[in-house]
Amino acid sequence: MLSRSAKHLYWLARYVERAENIARMIDVNLELILDFPDDHSLNWKPLIDTLDINQLFERKYKNYNENNVLNFLFEDKKNRSSLNNCLEMSKYNIETIKDDLPKTANISLNYLYDHILSQKISKVHQRRKLQHITNIVSMTQNFFGAINDNLSRGYEFEFIRLGRFVERTDMISRIIDCLCISKGSKQTHDFSTMEWISMLSTLSAQDAFRKESKGEANRGEVITFLLKNDSFPRSVFRSLITIETCLKNLPKNTKLLQMINRIINISERSKLHNFDDRRLHLFLDNLQKNISKIDSKIHSTYF
Amino acid sequence: MKLSWSKYELSKSYDEYITPKRTVRGHLRKIGNFFESLSFNDLQELDSATKSAIKSMGINFRVYSDEGSEERTWPLDFIPRIIKKSEWNVVEKGLKQRTKALNYFIEDCYNEQSFLNSGIISKSLITKSKYFLKFCKGTKLPNKSWAHISGSDLIKDIKGDFHVLEDNLRVPSGVSYMLENRYVMKRVFPDLFLHYGVSKIDEYPTKLYECLLDATFSKLKNPEIVLLTPGIYNSAYYEHSYLAQQMGIDLVEGSDLIVKKNIVYKKTIEGLQKVDVIYRRIDDDFLDPEVGNPFSVIGVKGLIRAWRNKNVAIVNAPGCGIADDKAVYSYVPEMINFFLKEEPILPNIKTLMLSIKEERDYVFENIKKMVTKPVSESGGYGISIGKNLNEKEISKLKRLLMKDPKNYVAQPLIDLSTSPTFIRDSLFPRHLDLRPFILSGKQTYVTVGGLTRVALKRGSTVVNSSQGGGSKDTWIIDA
Repeated sequence: MLSRSAKHLYWLARYVERAENIARMIDVNLELILDFPDDHSLNWKPLIDTLDINQLFERKYKNYNENNVLNFLFEDKKNRSSLNNCLEMSKYNIETIKDDLPKTANISLNYLYDHILSQKISKVHQRRKLQHITNIVSMTQNFFGAINDNLSRGYEFEFIRLGRFVERTDMISRIIDCLCISKGSKQTHDFSTMEWISMLSTLSAQDAFRKESKGEANRGEVITFLLKNDSFPRSVFRSLITIETCLKNLPKNTKLLQMINRIINISERSKLHNFDDRRLHLFLDNLQKNISKIDSKIHSTYF
Repeated sequence: MKLSWSKYELSKSYDEYITPKRTVRGHLRKIGNFFESLSFNDLQELDSATKSAIKSMGINFRVYSDEGSEERTWPLDFIPRIIKKSEWNVVEKGLKQRTKALNYFIEDCYNEQSFLNSGIISKSLITKSKYFLKFCKGTKLPNKSWAHISGSDLIKDIKGDFHVLEDNLRVPSGVSYMLENRYVMKRVFPDLFLHYGVSKIDEYPTKLYECLLDATFSKLKNPEIVLLTPGIYNSAYYEHSYLAQQMGIDLVEGSDLIVKKNIVYKKTIEGLQKVDVIYRRIDDDFLDPEVGNPFSVIGVKGLIRAWRNKNVAIVNAPGCGIADDKAVYSYVPEMINFFLKEEPILPNIKTLMLSIKEERDYVFENIKKMVTKPVSESGGYGISIGKNLNEKEISKLKRLLMKDPKNYVAQPLIDLSTSPTFIRDSLFPRHLDLRPFILSGKQTYVTVGGLTRVALKRGSTVVNSSQGGGSKDTWIIDA
């Protein structure tokens, strides 16, 4: 397989997965705000914190209000992670490889593209906003579904899966980091059970969580679940295992497998239950750095 | 209301379906009758079925203009262009003969130059041409194939006889549309295919692959073959991607290849992999910044060195453009005599050189009956049709021709044949040409038929898709 094709497949998957996670974050925040309309400590800043793009945001906007944050996350051209840009980049990456993918995958991506670009988020009526955003998630799932169901297992499939799960690991760790630490430290609002559940629901994890841990959704339980559960596909641990599986199916993987196994080991051994905010933050920060090292190594090995 | 050939608006040209007496030509009786059984509504339906099939298959091409570029859906007219097998057999023989002579000519130009020294042709016409690449001198290629893949444009004159209008030897395109046209037609018109013995055309990708194998210098049983494209913004990218897919070879861009120690490699996830044959769809000048345009970003640095060392075959070979020139074209009959000791089977169109005074005088006197063309352009650009010009435009054209007469040739305006074509709601005669594709490997192969291009504007003879032309499926039938 050509290095260029592999690179396009990998980044195609990363951008679609990123779009999905951003849509999920927005979705949950919107719902949460509807649940606590009077609580002014709830706001839109954590979303920008999660993506680490505050500087860029503040160059354009003063207030972290709903309109500004949504505009920035949807349409801003300078924000490389805006939904618009994610889709533009997905379209760019699929252009020269679409013949290697199932036709339905390209069609799903076109729908998603049209859906996001057809309307400015500020023009979507309040009543339809939630639906508008939920649709983005179902459309990205459609795209990956088309690939999972129709693409033969081989290098193409592995590079898509690899890109998807590298992106996912990074995004989950950011979401946890941001929601826990920023909210936990403020203390203005009691981070209630409700909010732990909302964090789970950002990752479509509430049902899986309930089945696994019969108890109450508290900090330790939720964080342990999202980081260490070995069967839920949107947990950090499970994502790392998936990355390992992809790498096993690719050539020249010795160094990369060593790297991923080290990360898996660290995750397995750490006693997250006892971590306070500071240690949790350090742990997640480290995880993101390690994932970024894996990404660089993937680039230097295959592309 | 039903279609009736008695109401068909015949023009003065040779119509391939209908005789001047408004009867259907003998070999087309069956299909002619079939169309008369259709109502105008049926025709509309067939037209929309064709269009929607093309759209859903995503068959398109890119057109460039001053305002930028846009992707357009491929235009296919659903009335097939039909040629009798017995007539086609002669054309096929003629094309093989012609292509062989042209390939011998190119190898000769870069080696012994016996044709150039024979006095038949002015030597400087070749050696001073921008397509004459000095670094090709002394190179001999397997089977003497330089233009491995070529496309000759054929037209039928007022008597219905085929003539060669020009030979495209550099990077001719259109073959994927020929294949796709048939694919669409089978879906739209399955009943017609059942009743006619239409010759198959789908072996082309296999033949092309074999031709690429024949081009290799390597002794390997399975040499590594790639298709080199300028990228997605090229007007023929659809075709590049289609052919690579059909042959199961990698579609590469210049940046995917690298030359080390005169060997070409492609960059893969497993590391560098040696490449033996490159089917390039990039013009000579952009192939290698070391010898051509130094600013080319679509080429590969060192490619020509690798080729000269016979470590990689380039298809078509660099330098083959020397025979793709409208002035050289006029010498093809002499080449056939000279190299093959045969008489040409397919006639040329009489071509006059503006650089020769007597011929120029004749052209200027009869300019209303002439077509003038720049010698080295393609795609129908730069062509002037005398009868369409007013006095002012004629004097402007003459000044242009006088400025650089070597760069122009003139041909008498040929009344191209017509075929019924669906326009709006009924069938009208429209002018056609035909581009068959010829593969030169160990053997010479000619596509069964080719790509028929049709000028959709009434009276127009401009068939190029970039300038509003359409296309037809071409049927070779036993009759």
